Amino acid sequence: MARVDRMAAFAMVLLSAGAAGAADFPQPLPEEPVPTVGELPERYPDSWIFVQDLHFNSLPDGRAAIVDVGIPNNNLRGQIPVAQFGNLLPSTTRGEIYVGETFYSRLTRGERTDVITIWDTKTLTPKGEIVLPGGKRGLFVTLRNSLQLTNDEKWALVFNFTPGSSVTVVDLAARKILSDIDLPGCSLVYPTGPRGFTSLCADGTMTSVALDAAGKAGPAVTSEAFNAIDDDPLFMTPAMVGRTGWFASFKGNLRAIDFSGAAAKDLGGFALPKQEGGASEWRPGGWQVISADRAGLLYVLMNPKGGEGSHKDGGTEAWVVDPKAKTLVRRIALKNHSLSIEATQQEKPLLVASRPDGSLDVYDAATGAFVRTIVSVVHDPMTMTAVR
Amino acid sequence: MSGLDKFSEKVTRNVARATSRRSLLTLIGGALTGAATLPVLPVSRAQAQTHGGGGAPVAPQSSGNPQDPGDQTQCDYWRYCAIDGFLCSCCGGSPNSCPPGTEMSPITWIGTCQNPADNRAYIISYNDCCGKSSCGRCLCNRNENDRPMVRPQANNDINWCLGTSSSVYNCSTAVILGVALEQQ
Repeated sequence: MARVDRMAAFAMVLLSAGAAGAADFPQPLPEEPVPTVGELPERYPDSWIFVQDLHFNSLPDGRAAIVDVGIPNNNLRGQIPVAQFGNLLPSTTRGEIYVGETFYSRLTRGERTDVITIWDTKTLTPKGEIVLPGGKRGLFVTLRNSLQLTNDEKWALVFNFTPGSSVTVVDLAARKILSDIDLPGCSLVYPTGPRGFTSLCADGTMTSVALDAAGKAGPAVTSEAFNAIDDDPLFMTPAMVGRTGWFASFKGNLRAIDFSGAAAKDLGGFALPKQEGGASEWRPGGWQVISADRAGLLYVLMNPKGGEGSHKDGGTEAWVVDPKAKTLVRRIALKNHSLSIEATQQEKPLLVASRPDGSLDVYDAATGAFVRTIVSVVHDPMTMTAVR
Repeated sequence: MSGLDKFSEKVTRNVARATSRRSLLTLIGGALTGAATLPVLPVSRAQAQTHGGGGAPVAPQSSGNPQDPGDQTQCDYWRYCAIDGFLCSCCGGSPNSCPPGTEMSPITWIGTCQNPADNRAYIISYNDCCGKSSCGRCLCNRNENDRPMVRPQANNDINWCLGTSSSVYNCSTAVILGVALEQQ
């Protein structure tokens, strides 16, 4: 009996609450206009990052999420398509995002079109495109350095792979192709000097190509071999500190390449300090394993079970490294097994670690304290690019 | 320019050598064994959970031939020693045939795998099947001896649906090309 009474009392509270609510709000909510579509600021805050979704279960339908990692909710601010092993490249000087992508006229068949699509940062609508000739844009698991900018961001550099290698130089403002440069045996593009690029080559060297005012290849300079590809290769995506690219190697060495001059210069490197506690040994592991903050500290995603073949297995810690002092500043224990990391370019940076399930874990980069998880951002968060 | 030309010529010849199947065969048994063909997801074990590799396994399939033993839907089937991608056996194809309506890529990667039944080493060609979207079942990913994009011939992140009418990747086969000659 007592229980029934309690339930009756509860029901009465509910009823009275409903009655009180109507009395408290004599006016109904206003009518809302349709259609209404959101907009973003033209220039994104520096707590935002682009998270690129390879979407391995449906490669023609890749995309990128634009995510604010600095706030507790409403984190996913918008999406743009990045089709079939596409590449995403935000401009830092114009309100534009460039996407290199590949389409077929009948989705999976028909005529192939490779294109750079130009997206408006504010409306997230396409404002133009530049068709890339030859159906040769390189298709592989996303690497940032297959699409890059040079010449004060006026030109784009597109890496092609057929399996012959070449680079297409594109004038973004005039929306036209300037040149195609064969570069067999070398891969990807690392902007170099005022107007040019460097490629890493299969023999362990790198070749820098300066471009003339018309975008044609000028003098090329090939370095000594420095990349021990058989024994201890460099991951392809560097962390950029100014014009210096810091590359991590499979076995835990860091190497600096200076891309500021007309020809890239190997500045040498150092080994991450050996640490106890690895199940076999600590090695960098994951897809995008190194990132830098504005102060020039490096963050390296580390896997305790390092060994031959472990380089894409992801990691459980992020090691913070001061490349000037060549010291390990801090080890950040990650809450979850992670596959890529990226530091925001805020004054007080956040470290974002992407998880295989497409969620992001966010940490205070200065203390390593866990801040928040942002769930289910994309399917396959291989590549992340912080707003700069 | 002449420096670049010379460099290009040198590397062109190297690439030509490295990408002809005959030359590749001569490399088998060396350090390249175990490299693979396909666009693959890194972070294999974790990622496989979300790409048909986790949870209950696909119902087992076998050749029925005691000389070709094992479950063709599992990564540990002997021919898959250097495979990467969705297994065609789970996608309407088989270890040596593409699913109906796809196109088999002529540009492939190869490995040498030991057959546990007859104890012979076989040359296996990992032809991709192309022209339909990702199969999404039975993702298999091994990265031993995989090297970054700087060395494409040893990199399994590349979509090898090259030389086909569509570059859209569906799944991967593991075709016997022959018995490997002497291992180095």
